[in-house]
Amino acid sequence: MSDLKIVAQDLYGRSPIRRLVPLWWALGLTALFVVSILGMNLNIARIIEGGERLRVMLGQMFPPNFGILGRIIGPAIETLYVAILGTFLGVVFSIVIGVLAAHNITPHVTVEIALKGFSAFTRAVPALIWALLFIVAVGLGPLPGILALAVNSIGMLGKVFAESIEEIDKGQIEAVAATGATPLQIISKAIIPSVTPALVSWSLFRLDINIRYSAVLGVVGAGGIGLELVRSTRMLAFDETLTITLLIFVMVWAVEYVNNQIRAFIR
Amino acid sequence: MSDGVLEYTRKNAIRRRRIARLIIFGFTVAVLVSAHGTGFRIRDLYRGIPNIIQFLTEDLLPPRFSVWRRFLGPTLETIAMSYAGTFLSVVFAAPLGFLAARNVSPYPIVMQIARATAVFMRTIPPIVWALLLVSIVGIGPFAGTIALGLSGAGMLIKSYADSIEDIDAGQIEAVRATGAGTFAVMMKGVVPQFSPSFVSWSLYRFDLNIRSAAVVGLVGAGGLGFSLSTAVRLFRYQEAAVAILWILGLILAIEFVTAKLRGHLI
Repeated sequence: MSDLKIVAQDLYGRSPIRRLVPLWWALGLTALFVVSILGMNLNIARIIEGGERLRVMLGQMFPPNFGILGRIIGPAIETLYVAILGTFLGVVFSIVIGVLAAHNITPHVTVEIALKGFSAFTRAVPALIWALLFIVAVGLGPLPGILALAVNSIGMLGKVFAESIEEIDKGQIEAVAATGATPLQIISKAIIPSVTPALVSWSLFRLDINIRYSAVLGVVGAGGIGLELVRSTRMLAFDETLTITLLIFVMVWAVEYVNNQIRAFIR
Repeated sequence: MSDGVLEYTRKNAIRRRRIARLIIFGFTVAVLVSAHGTGFRIRDLYRGIPNIIQFLTEDLLPPRFSVWRRFLGPTLETIAMSYAGTFLSVVFAAPLGFLAARNVSPYPIVMQIARATAVFMRTIPPIVWALLLVSIVGIGPFAGTIALGLSGAGMLIKSYADSIEDIDAGQIEAVRATGAGTFAVMMKGVVPQFSPSFVSWSLYRFDLNIRSAAVVGLVGAGGLGFSLSTAVRLFRYQEAAVAILWILGLILAIEFVTAKLRGHLI
């Protein structure tokens, strides 16, 4: 009997069932995938029809219609503006929130809890849903997009700014306080210099995220390049869709590239 | 000689400060130009606040909780979309991740192609993929699933490849020194070191997909996003409030579950 047991174990003394744990995971996860897909009432006819439509769509996409560039460059620039302003407002408000919510310098612990709860909420609701709400509240145009991005940014930046202030070396604050500095001087001479690098690189990262959102704000009715994209798919002008998609790609990629250069410089 | 070093350090510091000033100046100009271009005024902020408060208190609140049952199906649909999308991107990205990692990729040209594919797939926002796919496979969660799969694959190829590049080369060499073939080196040298980051990136993607899934629905790709945009379009804001609360709850719940799972698996 002990012979049998030895045969069944591998070098590490694992039984065959234990040894195959990754396989059980793979099988279970695949089964879950099949169940999820089956729940979407797919059938062969729909997939074949989709394939046919994909073929037609690709045929219409090429060559992309670059003639519309003159018309879409305005909305593209507006998209950039919205991303920059949304990030800027987000950063400004987040600095205030970060200072008030950081555990080591918060005026009162209830302020800390309230502000951290507020940023958790604004972070958890996706940016496009904020845009949807702001369109109803303040009307069309670039303003709802700017506000949506700012509010969603506060959720993320408020949290990380507070955390980077909490990570500051206590000795630095004490050293400045020992010279008889006022609270405002403590902030400007001890806190700001030590959090600036983190603050800048998180803000740039957020600009990266915001340009992506800004490009699709038009999908919910706020302006910019996203609106042109939706319009072109509704009119089945897929050669224009491809041009706009490529332009979005270039914009997002360019912002990412500039950010990486600046971040490399800071480090 | 030390004078030269000092001189170099000083010049370098001046140069850095100059570049820093240039960057700050650039951003200031960018913000001002943007404010001018969009006609944004600071007073828009405080003039908008009464509108926002009125919207919140009169239209959105209180949420009509009696309709909560209507969002049960879409919630399941959102979870199914996120899971199936994650599954597709993991299956697609795992082999490409190996091909895109500098240290294990068979040919540099394959690595370049895999990386470029990844950049393209993840730079296009998921909702743009969804918009295109809705035109192809029609309205419904299947379009959303493929959209999440594509943009997720783009991110995962990069993350997988970066984690594979970070693994200890000594272990690969040790396995190779036993006379193992390429496949055996992969299975015994690379995979064991890579699997923790594989699990944690894949779970992270599932987390992100829940957020995106709630949003891609806005263009008709099924799930809670679709219910939300329908409610807003019909001006049923109190129902929209319930949908938003559902989305919020779902995101927080999945974040909690994946955090637990990550702690358990790694």
